[in-house]
Amino acid sequence: MSALTVERSLALCLAIEIAIFALLGSNFVTLQNAGEIIRASAETGLLALALTPIILTGGIDLSVGSLLALCAVVFGMTWADAGWPIPLAAGAAIAAGLAGGALNALLVARLQVPPLIVTLGTFSLFRGIAEGATAGVRNYSNFPDAFLFLGQGAVGFIPSQFVILLAAAVAIWLLVHRMTVGRTLSAIGFSIDGARHAGLPVARRLSLVYVLSGLAAAVAALLYVARLGQAKADAGTGFELTAITAVVLGGTSIFGGRGSVRGTLLGLATLAVLQNGLRLSDLPAELAGVVTAVLLVAALGASRAFERDT
Amino acid sequence: MTRAGLVALVLAVSAACGGGGTDNVLTVAMMPKNKGNPYFASCRVGAEAAAKELNVRLLWDGPTETDPAKQNEVVDAWITRGVDVIAVSVENKEALSTVLRKARTRGIKVITWDADAEPDARDYFVNQATPRGIAETLAGHTARLLDGRGEFGVITASLTAANQNEWLRQLRAVLAERYPDLTLVDVRPSDDDRRRAFEETQTMLKVHPGVRVIMAIASPAVPGAAEAVKQSGRTDVRVTGLGLPGDAKPYLKDGVLDSAVLWNTEDLGFLTMYTAHALATGALKPGVTSLSAGRLGTRQVDGDQVILGTPFTFTKDNVDQFKF
Repeated sequence: MSALTVERSLALCLAIEIAIFALLGSNFVTLQNAGEIIRASAETGLLALALTPIILTGGIDLSVGSLLALCAVVFGMTWADAGWPIPLAAGAAIAAGLAGGALNALLVARLQVPPLIVTLGTFSLFRGIAEGATAGVRNYSNFPDAFLFLGQGAVGFIPSQFVILLAAAVAIWLLVHRMTVGRTLSAIGFSIDGARHAGLPVARRLSLVYVLSGLAAAVAALLYVARLGQAKADAGTGFELTAITAVVLGGTSIFGGRGSVRGTLLGLATLAVLQNGLRLSDLPAELAGVVTAVLLVAALGASRAFERDT
Repeated sequence: MTRAGLVALVLAVSAACGGGGTDNVLTVAMMPKNKGNPYFASCRVGAEAAAKELNVRLLWDGPTETDPAKQNEVVDAWITRGVDVIAVSVENKEALSTVLRKARTRGIKVITWDADAEPDARDYFVNQATPRGIAETLAGHTARLLDGRGEFGVITASLTAANQNEWLRQLRAVLAERYPDLTLVDVRPSDDDRRRAFEETQTMLKVHPGVRVIMAIASPAVPGAAEAVKQSGRTDVRVTGLGLPGDAKPYLKDGVLDSAVLWNTEDLGFLTMYTAHALATGALKPGVTSLSAGRLGTRQVDGDQVILGTPFTFTKDNVDQFKF
C-alpha cells in the first residue's frame, strides 16, 4: 500500500461521507454550507498544516491549542487594556506566537529534549499564563467590525478565512514538497542521527518548523477571536488533538519520514464534513467521535502495512 | 472494502433514514450549555414532553466538552439546516450573540432560556426566576424558620457578583415591606467555592452568635454552609438557600438544611418549547402579556421575557425525585 493509496482511500471515504450527508442532510449540498465548513475548520486547519512538517520530522507539538489561547489573550489585552490599535495588537499576538514557538524550538532543537515532553510542558505553560493573566474569567469582546470581518465575513459564499487557509496550504506545500528543506525534514524523520551524520542542518530545520507552528497558532488565534468575537483564556481547548488527528488521518506517519500536505487537507476535510454533516442530518454529533476513531485506526493500519512492505 | 460494498452501505443507510425532512412539521432546535449536565438532562425531559403535545420536531444538541466555540458551531449548522426556532441556554454571551443575530437576519426565531444573550440577539428570553421571586421565596423560608423575628446572615458568591447583588437588593426590599423584624446582620463572600463558604460560615457563627439562619445564595455555598453548621453542633441554627438538589440532599436529610430553592427544571424545558411554538405560530408577539402553556397553565409575559413563575423549593420530602 503506497502513500498515494492512503490518500485515495481517504478521498473515497470523503466522497462517501458527502454522498451520505447529501441524502440525509438538509441544505448540506449548498455553496453556503461549503463556506461554513471552511469557516469552522480554518483554525484547526492552520494548526494541522503547521503540524504536518513537525510530524514529518518525527516530532509533535501539543502546545498549539494553548498557544492559540495565549495569543488570543495577548491580542485582547493589548487592544482593550493597553489601548493599542488593532494592527499593533495583532502584531503583539504574532510576536507572542513566535516567542512560544521559539521556546519549543530551543528546547527541542538545541537542548534535544523529546518534543512530546517539551510540548506537553508548554501545553500547560501557555494556557497557564493565559489564565493567570486574565484570572481565567476576563473576556475581551466588542472588537471593531472591520476586524470581525476576518472571522465572520464572506465575499459571496467564500468566507474571509479561506484566503488565509489557502495561502498557508500553498506555503506549507511548497516547503514540504518543492524545497530541499522538505527533503531534510523527511530525512530527520527517518533517522535523526543519520541526518546529523549526513551533515544536514538538523537543529536549524527543527527550529524552523516549531517556530512556524507558533506563527500558525498566532494567526489561528486572530481568526478565532474574529470568528467568535471574544478573546478568553479557554480559546482553542482541544484544538491540538483535532489538528493531529487530521494530519495522521491524512497518511502522515506519526513516526516521521513520510507524509503529505494534500493528505492533511483531505484529513481535515473528512473531519470537518463529518461534524457538519451529522448536525445537518439530525444525527447525534457524538457519532463523530466513533467514526473518527474508525477512520483513524484504518489510516494507521494502512500506514503500518506500508511500513512493513518497505 | 470494495466500492460496491460502500455504495450498498450508502443506499442502506439512506433507505433506513428516508431522506432529509421537507415536511411541514415545525422544527425547534434547543441547546443546553452542556449536554452532559444532569440539570439540562432534566430540562430536556420537559421539552420533549411539550414537543410531543405540540407535534414539534425537537432537535437537542450542544457541547459535550469545554470548547467555547462549540455552541457557535452548532447554531451555525442549524442556520444552514434552516430550522424554524432556535432556543439556547447561553454559555458565552458575547460570542454567541453574534451568531444568534445572524440567525435572526435569516428569518429564524430565536429564544434564550436559562441564561440570556444580549437582548437584541433574541426575540424572547424564558426567565426561570425573577430576582424578586427568588428574594420573596428565600425571605419567606427565613421568616418561617424564625417565626418572623430574629437575626440571619447571608453567604453570597463574590461580593461583586451581579446576580447575587440583584437578589440581595430585592431581598432588602422584601424585608422592609413584609418582615420588619428580620435583621440581615452580615453578608460574607464564598467566591463560588464550597470550602470558602464553609470557613465564612464558621466565622459568621462566631462573630454573630445571635444568628439563627444562614442563607446561602450561591449553589456551592449551600453544602459549604450546611457542613459548617453541622460541624459546629449548633442545633439552633438552620440553613436555607439557592442550590442544586443533589448537593442539598444529604443535608436536607440531616435536618441542618431546611430548604434549597431553585426552579423546576422540567417545567423550564416545557415552557421553553411552548414559547418556541407560540413564537413560530404568531401567538406570541410584542404586546402579548400572557402565554398559555399546557399543563403549566397561563404564564406571564413581561416585555420580551416569559416568566416561569415562583421558584421551586426542595425539601427533605421531595428531593429524592430530582436527579441533578
